[in-house]
Amino acid sequence: MKHQEKESAALRKNIGDMWSLVQSQLVLAGEALFSVNKDQATEVITREKRVNAFELLVESDCENYIALFNPVAIDLRLMLSLLKINTNLERIADFAEGIARYVMAFEKPAIDPELLLKLRLHSMYDEMLEMFNLTRLSLDREDSRLAGSIFAKDDVLDEINKAATPILADHIRNHPDQVMECLYLLSIIRKIERVGDHCNNIAEEIVFYLDAKILKHAGTAAREAFWRGEDAGVTNCRILREDSDTPVPPES
Amino acid sequence: MSPETKTGHVGRSKRRNQAIAFGIFRVLGFVVIAILFVIIGFIVIKGAGAISWEFLTGMPSEGGASGGIFPAIVGTLCLVAGSVLISFPIGVLSGIYINEYAHNNWVVRFIRIMNNNLSSIPSVVFGLFGMSLFVNTLEWGDSIIAGSFTLALLALPLVIRTTEEALKSIDDSFRQGSLALGATKLQTIRRVILPMAYPNIITGLILSIGRVSGETAPILFTVAASFLSHLPGSIFEPVMALPYHLYVISTSGTDIEASRTMAYGTALVLVAIVLVANLVANALRNFFGNKVKMN
Amino acid sequence: MSKLAAKDIHFYYGDFEALKGITMEMTAHTVTAFIGPSGCGKSTFLRLFNRMNDLVDGSRMTGLLSMDGEDIYARNIQVDELRKKVGMVFQRPNPFPKSIFENVAYGLRVNGVKDSGFIASRVEASLRAAALWDEVKDKLRQSAFSLSGGQQQRLCIARALAIEPSVVLMDEPASALDPISTAKIEELIFELKKDYTIVIVTHNMQQAARVSDKTAFFYLGELIEYDDTKKIFLNPRVEATQNYITGRFG
Repeated sequence: MKHQEKESAALRKNIGDMWSLVQSQLVLAGEALFSVNKDQATEVITREKRVNAFELLVESDCENYIALFNPVAIDLRLMLSLLKINTNLERIADFAEGIARYVMAFEKPAIDPELLLKLRLHSMYDEMLEMFNLTRLSLDREDSRLAGSIFAKDDVLDEINKAATPILADHIRNHPDQVMECLYLLSIIRKIERVGDHCNNIAEEIVFYLDAKILKHAGTAAREAFWRGEDAGVTNCRILREDSDTPVPPES
Repeated sequence: MSPETKTGHVGRSKRRNQAIAFGIFRVLGFVVIAILFVIIGFIVIKGAGAISWEFLTGMPSEGGASGGIFPAIVGTLCLVAGSVLISFPIGVLSGIYINEYAHNNWVVRFIRIMNNNLSSIPSVVFGLFGMSLFVNTLEWGDSIIAGSFTLALLALPLVIRTTEEALKSIDDSFRQGSLALGATKLQTIRRVILPMAYPNIITGLILSIGRVSGETAPILFTVAASFLSHLPGSIFEPVMALPYHLYVISTSGTDIEASRTMAYGTALVLVAIVLVANLVANALRNFFGNKVKMN
Repeated sequence: MSKLAAKDIHFYYGDFEALKGITMEMTAHTVTAFIGPSGCGKSTFLRLFNRMNDLVDGSRMTGLLSMDGEDIYARNIQVDELRKKVGMVFQRPNPFPKSIFENVAYGLRVNGVKDSGFIASRVEASLRAAALWDEVKDKLRQSAFSLSGGQQQRLCIARALAIEPSVVLMDEPASALDPISTAKIEELIFELKKDYTIVIVTHNMQQAARVSDKTAFFYLGELIEYDDTKKIFLNPRVEATQNYITGRFG
């Protein structure tokens, strides 16, 4: 193995370790949430510092690699996407910590199981974890089609998120004593939904790394077309576009 | 034994071998210089006594055993000048042709081989050839012109080869640089290549002057008179020459022992002429070298 | 219309086929970089545009090579006239053993320009264009050899510009220079693009990326990929190109 390849392998191992850490944070925060376990929540909050340290490590790894090896083509795309994946992972870990902090704030020993069922919070959390695991898997396997499959899963999160507000409003009306818990739950659902968005971003970066295709701000239709393998109008790289100074406005 | 001591040992023997080798090179280098100084010193010591104004400017008498060597000096200078005038244009132009114009095919290789053969032909054969062509066939008789042509033939391979080498040593990038600016081949040679080659071509001049001025055999048959008490009136007259004069007074004559000093004096003058020619040519070479840079 | 165009160019050194059917076009006022491993034919191809390969014994070419739509290998083309329009800068700085002034004036003089006022103005303009004027204006009569390697190379560029070519070919122009001189040459190439069409052969991938608009990757006498430089260096279409520019070759 060449020197340069050893360096990039070491870098990918570091970001892989970070991925594992963030994953365990998400799992632990979920367990803490569903059982309202404040010990687990405390552990999540404590371990957040390690994630931050990993973020700095991976960032400096990438900077060094770019400075020393002047990567081009696929090497350059890997570094650019790893830098952004790194940021996204750190944000995801922040959300895990945020969930844990709400768990700490809970006053009641348990959440109303009927409410959880109505909110479909369990399946939302599982879907989110599944998305997160897929991002890791698609980078490890260098499989851009697998990364593309993540986008569809995000729709489920969006749908549950949208449905949550009226359900919670209804619940507050019927159980005025649980107002705080309901507001916390709404915030937690928002955070889970945001994790899904960040998983989407990571998937976009993986597709950029592997295929040099820009899915960012390209809209749902383009993403789904990519997943179906049709490549409808997403091949134009942002760097190549003559009008690259004017960003394409994101879809509302 | 640990690896360090092993490599340390090798290092020592490496240095010792280097010291021995360079010691030998240095000694051999000094031997060459020593030989040169011994020869020159020997001639100077033996011949300095003979040198006088009279000797340099006087006419010979008693078959060369006394008197001066003026006609021989003039003769040698005439022959050197004549042969250089003939061999240089021809030699330089054919060197240019071979290196710059001719494609590197069998013709050029043949010319080159023949040229090398020519330069290894014994000089006496040139003399014989010069006699039959210039003296007899062209009916020039024993004359400066016949001798000059014969010596020019002798010098020609040397001139061609040094010209060729001088041109070859100039990096092709200069030719390409000139051609790429829309210059023709002739413009490139005249304006870029020749000015750069002058210093080395002049080295060829030095070598051929040295060779020509010392030759005896070719002039023996074509020009040299053993004894003349007057200077030549035209290039169609015979003339004395230093090397031949030296040969004559050392081997024949009534009193060889008495003319010994004269012989060494003649040798000294001959060596001095060659050395002066070298110095002048060296000065020219430096002058052109600087001019090339500063032009 | 494209400035330079090659159509199905084959080139042979004796029996060796150095170029195997190259077809490409170069637009005016752009910098095109030729990259590829040694012996891939990129320099050979470059030298076809000013017919420098005419000098190589036993070489021959087939195909059509044109500048401004005119076949430059046509019978009626005078090679020295062509070379006035297509300047060239070589790998090693090769100033002539003349003064700085005479080096730049050389191209004018060999092309029959006699007017000394005109020559002086062209020399100054060319030295300015080559970003060398301020460094040499007080020593125009000094030997070109007194300049540093980087200055010598800019002098060679000035020399090429003096005869007002429309195309400048550069064969690894910075490979023998230190990084600062290289940066100056690269900056110069970028400036010259306004007035000239530039084709540059380089072994330095970063250099190709920095100075060129388009990059052509050659391998074993074939044109493997020719595209916008940004595209080549971010997302090359052909795997061989990617392997070469990322250093994974062979």
